[in-house]
Amino acid sequence: MRRLTKLSAVAAVAALALAGCGGSDSKGGGGDKPAAGDDVCKTADGDGPKIGLAYDVGGRGDRSFNDSAYAGLEKAVGEFDATCIEGEATDGEAESAREDRLRNMAENGATAIVGVGFAYSESVNAVAPDFPEVNFAVIDGFDPDDQANENVAYLGFAEQEGSFLVGVAAAEKSKSGTIGFVGGVNNELIQKFEAGYTAGAKAAKPDIKVEVAYIQESDLKGFGDPAGGKAAAAGEFDKGADVVYHAAGGSGSGVFDAAVEAGEGNWAIGVDSDQYLTATAEQKPFILTSMLKRVDVATYDFAKSVDAGKPLTSFVTYDLKQDGVGYSTANKTAIDGLTTTIDDYKAKIIAGDIKVPTKP
Amino acid sequence: MPSEVDAVQLRGIGKRFPGVVANHDVDVTIRPGTVHALIGENGAGKSTLMKILYGVQRPDDGTITIEGKQVVLKSPTEAIEAGVGMVFQHFMLADNLTVLENMVLGAEKLHGIGDGARTEIRRISERFGFDLDPDVLVEKLGVAARQRLEIAKVLYRGARIIILDEPTAVLVPQEVDALFENLRELKAAGNSVLFISHKLDEVLAIADDITVMRRGTTVGTADPATATKHELAELMVGSELPSPETEESTVTDTVQLSLSDVTLTDEFGRNLLTDLSLTIRRGEVLGIAGVEGNGQAELVETIMGMRIPTSGRIMLGDQDVTHWHTRQLREAGIGYIPEDRHRHGLLLDAPLWENRILGHQTRPPSSKGMWINRKGARKDTERIVADYDVRAPGIDTPSRALSGGNQQKLIVGREMSGDPVLLIASHPTRGVDVGAQAAIWDHIKRARRNGLAVLLVSADLDELIGLSDTIQVILRGRFVGTFDPSSVTPQDLGTAMTGGAA
Amino acid sequence: MNGRLKSVGLALLAPAIAIVLSILVTTLVIAAVGSSPGEFWSTMFEVPKPRLRVDIVNQTAMIYIAAVAAAIGFRMGLFNIGLEGQYTIASFSAATFAGAAYLGGFANVAASLVVAMVVGAAWAGIAGVLRATRGVSEVISTIMLNAIAVTLVGYFLNNYGVKEGNSVHTKNLPSGTTLGGWSPFEDRDGDIWALAIVAVLVGVGFWALLNKTRFGFDLRASGQSESAALASGINPKRMIVISMMLSGAVAGLIWMPALFGGARNYGTSFQVGLGFLGIAVALLGRNRPIGMLFGALLFAFLSVKSNDLTFGTDVSPSIVQITQGVAVLAVVVTYEVVRRWRTRLEQRAVSRELTATTGATA
Repeated sequence: MRRLTKLSAVAAVAALALAGCGGSDSKGGGGDKPAAGDDVCKTADGDGPKIGLAYDVGGRGDRSFNDSAYAGLEKAVGEFDATCIEGEATDGEAESAREDRLRNMAENGATAIVGVGFAYSESVNAVAPDFPEVNFAVIDGFDPDDQANENVAYLGFAEQEGSFLVGVAAAEKSKSGTIGFVGGVNNELIQKFEAGYTAGAKAAKPDIKVEVAYIQESDLKGFGDPAGGKAAAAGEFDKGADVVYHAAGGSGSGVFDAAVEAGEGNWAIGVDSDQYLTATAEQKPFILTSMLKRVDVATYDFAKSVDAGKPLTSFVTYDLKQDGVGYSTANKTAIDGLTTTIDDYKAKIIAGDIKVPTKP
Repeated sequence: MPSEVDAVQLRGIGKRFPGVVANHDVDVTIRPGTVHALIGENGAGKSTLMKILYGVQRPDDGTITIEGKQVVLKSPTEAIEAGVGMVFQHFMLADNLTVLENMVLGAEKLHGIGDGARTEIRRISERFGFDLDPDVLVEKLGVAARQRLEIAKVLYRGARIIILDEPTAVLVPQEVDALFENLRELKAAGNSVLFISHKLDEVLAIADDITVMRRGTTVGTADPATATKHELAELMVGSELPSPETEESTVTDTVQLSLSDVTLTDEFGRNLLTDLSLTIRRGEVLGIAGVEGNGQAELVETIMGMRIPTSGRIMLGDQDVTHWHTRQLREAGIGYIPEDRHRHGLLLDAPLWENRILGHQTRPPSSKGMWINRKGARKDTERIVADYDVRAPGIDTPSRALSGGNQQKLIVGREMSGDPVLLIASHPTRGVDVGAQAAIWDHIKRARRNGLAVLLVSADLDELIGLSDTIQVILRGRFVGTFDPSSVTPQDLGTAMTGGAA
Repeated sequence: MNGRLKSVGLALLAPAIAIVLSILVTTLVIAAVGSSPGEFWSTMFEVPKPRLRVDIVNQTAMIYIAAVAAAIGFRMGLFNIGLEGQYTIASFSAATFAGAAYLGGFANVAASLVVAMVVGAAWAGIAGVLRATRGVSEVISTIMLNAIAVTLVGYFLNNYGVKEGNSVHTKNLPSGTTLGGWSPFEDRDGDIWALAIVAVLVGVGFWALLNKTRFGFDLRASGQSESAALASGINPKRMIVISMMLSGAVAGLIWMPALFGGARNYGTSFQVGLGFLGIAVALLGRNRPIGMLFGALLFAFLSVKSNDLTFGTDVSPSIVQITQGVAVLAVVVTYEVVRRWRTRLEQRAVSRELTATTGATA
């Protein structure tokens, strides 16, 4: 009997661990997946190119990265009379699983395959040489070895430029003269967001004070920790900040909650996708704007280049000029008075009059 | 006390476990308002029968009738509802709670947990002479008082039939008398008591009826007014009763083990053992008598290296072994028959031949260097099984399937292997049948003749007197008296074991 | 012989029931969310393509090593939940060491394996020492050490790793030290990694250690009865530390086949979760070398095949995690049920035998 309880305890731990692996699937913020019927790949039957879209963990319905890529795909399918094929990653999957996913798409006739997220860099690098007639793209990707691939495009974003614009918005909106930044993990990528944001704020109001906090120094859990996000943001609101921008993925909902608790006159700024559209009714009024990383633009753009017979290759950076980054005006009442100022700065960046730093 | 309905009728009860038939064709009738003694050697099936009556185990055959109503008891809860309560040998009390709290624990609905309960406890206590104060912490109570509390708990829950599992095993003779007074009160109030024992004096002193069990079945009943100990013993054993008898002294002059001023303190700085000194010579059996829990276990574990003394010195021959580990001590030739064979002596789910290796992992024939010598161990197990009359289907049988006596014979055989110089025997015949008991005594005597030094700890005073060359009485971790077994009586020892008080 | 066959049959009964049960639950879950279980199972049970067969073998190897690591602890009653952290930090250390290329060729591989084992052992040893000296439950300490390991590795990677795009990794292995493997099909179907052989060695070693050596006896004895082990002269504290370290050393090897097979560095291709899979498979295989082999194969098959689900069906591949979880829970429960049933069978057999003999003597 005692052995049974002991064993059951371990089994429960193991089951929890397995469940824990699956748990982070929901980092999109509790949204239900769109019904299968919405899937454009089920209905598309044109004779244009066949586009493969390999999602990162979370898949379609994450209201972020993956959904944004899907939006670009939908647009491309409509415009180029294309068909498509999708594949979804599971948490903790093997490198070989990603490779297999890409190979499956290529074997099923896809001619343009997009890996959503840098985790596909290695697998695309391994698969691409076997399918020279297929064009690959990796969002945020990189080439892991010295041999350049003729048929792979690495689609990056000028996050600092988008962050610059929301930095301007924050500084303009702030009444207290202090604003905040919450990063998920203190690494080079997120530092780019911080640098642009601070630069934008200082450009608009040179004497503005920026409080900076990172949820985790290195653990990627910082992107999936709403409680940590809330604690970090609440600390900044306590120090007098009245606008807080987050670059913390799934932890962002905690930042929004902190703004809600700080009360009227306090704001939060979203990231990657237009988070005003996906936030809860309670959070919505507090979301000033979002820094948009237009994965949809990049996806669409890549599909377009393949359709046109001039496929993108090598490194491509989507910046303000290409509309690859931007800011959202969905919360009209909040942002309305600021758009002229922000758009001024936008024009200056596009013209090259302002160089946005990438390191804080 | 004539009555129309029997308190309990057990008819044709049978229960089988793998490798053993624990009960078969058991018939017992308990009249109301009587003390009914169930006697039999350990392993005769008494425990199983009690567990069946208390709903812990369900019989494979037979019927249980309680106060005229045939019942099926699926759990102790149902047994209590039917009026059957049980007091186990090992008390089930929470030390850090009061008498009242222990009493109401799990029976809160009966009289609440406050003054109602307190009144009821006082009533029970006075009615039967239990002398229990509801608000005293259980940790402050002695063994006898705890036992009374257990009985009171059962009565509190409304039991009219009370099973007592070897209640006297933990008591000194003087406390036994007090318990019997309580039992007479119980019976006077119309309760029935099923009294389990294998001590014939006690049974004759208290019982109104006696049922004898042997090899899993009831072999007869006896009237305590006319029966003699000898008759009961023959019924129990089915043959002549053996008794340990000291042979002429074989004590030599060579000291094999000596302890000088050994003190052991626990993590809170309390003394478990205080200034113990003893010597055992080759060919000598030193007996340790004492009420359980007075430091015997700690003494044995200290000698065996499972505990390291806080101060003092232990010498094995002329080597200082005070800080040696168990394995070193075993390799130096100490055999160890532990008190609790299930916990310390055996791997219950492992086959016999693997149990032969246990404790002898580092010595031939069990091992060769870092490897287990499977062949050697199996062969030597065959030898033990034959020489020590271990009754088992084969050496691949898991030791769990063996009866207590055969398990113990295997352990004795194992510990006598490899020519030990010292044997630490803790309750070597506890819970074994008469045949095995006699065999184990013989083995100890033979080894003693061959010059083995033996430390014998036992609760069985007859065994101690019969086997030892010297007896030391231990009380609260100190030696309080040395006795010569040729002149001492169990009563004398009982007095010394309780600190001289009655 | 007949009895032996019967006992083997009984031993297989529990896992068989567990698998049926997990198939049933999975089917119900799929039906409940409105997808087609038929489609799901026909996709899952399709014969895998050659490259998936290769993947299954590779995954089986890694999961099996993890299961053995877990079983070493389990067999002595220690619950090393920290395999995840141990192989994370060991893989990182070994990849860093190998990338630094202090040695060339095969010597670099061998030395890196030693590094992985030593680091894994040391990391697990922390929990062992805490348990032995301070009585800290190894379940708690290893879970905490998992978090610490991930954080530490992240820190070192961020600060000293090679940055590439948005990711960081350790230095690539020097070209002479990737072992590759053996390609049973076409080249593009991939290789069975050379170091998958480690799984075989670990399995055989585990069996021999347990059944043939004194240490293995002590380990099993400690697991069966701590008190009896103590009385037999086994030093329980020493056993705790040693077996934790041994478990950690094996855990250190978990990801090595992948590292030297194709991953080239510790980075995005590092596979997380193998430690937990190993624990599950150890339970599934009852800590027996052969049982765990089948368990690992089953889990690898489910994981690898689940990738096909995104194409043929609208069922999320994550569903196989339910199948795996239920299988583990079910095997623990059914094993106990079967054990009791078996006990009853034995009882009946014994009583039959006894009646027969009494009949003869009477």
